[in-house]
Amino acid sequence: MEVRLPDGDARSRCAELVLPHLNSAYNLARWLSRNDADAEDIVQDALERALKYASGLQGTNAKAWFLTIVRHTCYDWIGRNRPAELVPGDGTDAIEAAADPRPTPEETVIADADAQALLRAIAALPVGFREVLLLREQEDMSYRDIARVIDIPIGTVMSRLARARGLLRRSPLLHSVLPQSMRTVGK
Amino acid sequence: MNCNEAAPLLPTYGDGELDPMQSAEVEKHLLTCAECAARRDEQVALSARIKRDVPYFAAPPSLRSRIDAVLAGTRGTLRSRPVWDRWRWLGAGALAGSMATVLAWLMGSAVLEWRDGTDLAAEAVADHVRATLSNHLTDVATSDRHTVKPWLSARLDYSPPVQDLSGEGFALTGARVDYLEKRAVATLVYRYREHVVDVFVRPAAEGTARSRSPVSTVRGFNVVRASGAGMDWLAVSDTSADALTAFVARLARGDAAP
Ligand SMILES: [Zn+2]
Repeated sequence: MEVRLPDGDARSRCAELVLPHLNSAYNLARWLSRNDADAEDIVQDALERALKYASGLQGTNAKAWFLTIVRHTCYDWIGRNRPAELVPGDGTDAIEAAADPRPTPEETVIADADAQALLRAIAALPVGFREVLLLREQEDMSYRDIARVIDIPIGTVMSRLARARGLLRRSPLLHSVLPQSMRTVGK
Repeated sequence: MNCNEAAPLLPTYGDGELDPMQSAEVEKHLLTCAECAARRDEQVALSARIKRDVPYFAAPPSLRSRIDAVLAGTRGTLRSRPVWDRWRWLGAGALAGSMATVLAWLMGSAVLEWRDGTDLAAEAVADHVRATLSNHLTDVATSDRHTVKPWLSARLDYSPPVQDLSGEGFALTGARVDYLEKRAVATLVYRYREHVVDVFVRPAAEGTARSRSPVSTVRGFNVVRASGAGMDWLAVSDTSADALTAFVARLARGDAAP
């Protein structure tokens, strides 16, 4: 197998380094945008940006570098399409507001009500908490790499992670596995 | 360490990000405090639920063809085929994550200075990469440890302990024989979530104490070593260092562990 790369070609080298992380990129974009088609747009856009700034890819951590760009692209997209989600705050109120009452496509294929509730609770987390939680739990990223991707201090990674987990534990979505209407049936 | 000191450290401890000294202190406290142990269990359970129940969205084929098109625009800069084709052969499926890391390793090693050291960790990672790339992870593919153990014993001058830890997320998928420091060594192959974990097992070097597992990173792979149950254990994977450390410690405790 050919592994030697053309010398001095930052773009193709960049593509070789970031493409292995395409699944991570799509997963992040999908969770931040909560929409399949938009996530595809975001990742394509991010790849084009990455190729453009290929010379910025230094060192070994292509994944953190690419996810940083994907995340920036996501935030640009959210800013254009759902600016309300970027309102700063501790997220306690937003968790209800952000919850879309309609089942998402993935929910309809998950039979387990508990799993659905968890999925909805995470989707309802404010975006700043959702991203930290998923980078940690799904990508198994270290605090240091998460701090790099989000461009915040490690201490902030820790406090957001704690907040995200706390919000999840207390999420009304997690505890009301049965909808209110079903629980009151027959009264 | 008391509850007031231990409680705020629990999340960091659970994420494997506490330094070894503090980690040991927290562990000591957990042994004697049911309340903190319950908090720890709750956090472990939440992480496990997220890993199990929350979907991971892999890039769909439609995105992959769009990426092809983007890269076609850069084809003039690529010497041969589009980048995509070079790793498409690896295919999708459970191994894709590991394969991708293997390729990142290879690509990285071509680009960056890579000293071909004689270091044990580097050698183990090289074995891992070779097996993954050649699509030949196991010589004997079975989750039955009663098949794996005699198979290895017949090919080596020792008989390594073999455990299937599916219950803890590490499913035995088989074994192969590799060479480390010019000696044949047993390699147990596990699957942990979407990651492949290779565990090299050989008789403990004379006088090796039961040590805390040192962790190193070689080209993006975590390498964790431990000694126990009469063996030296060395695990290589692209999964997180904390998961790997816990796993190796568990293996090194042996069968008789509680
Ligand atoms: Zn306590």
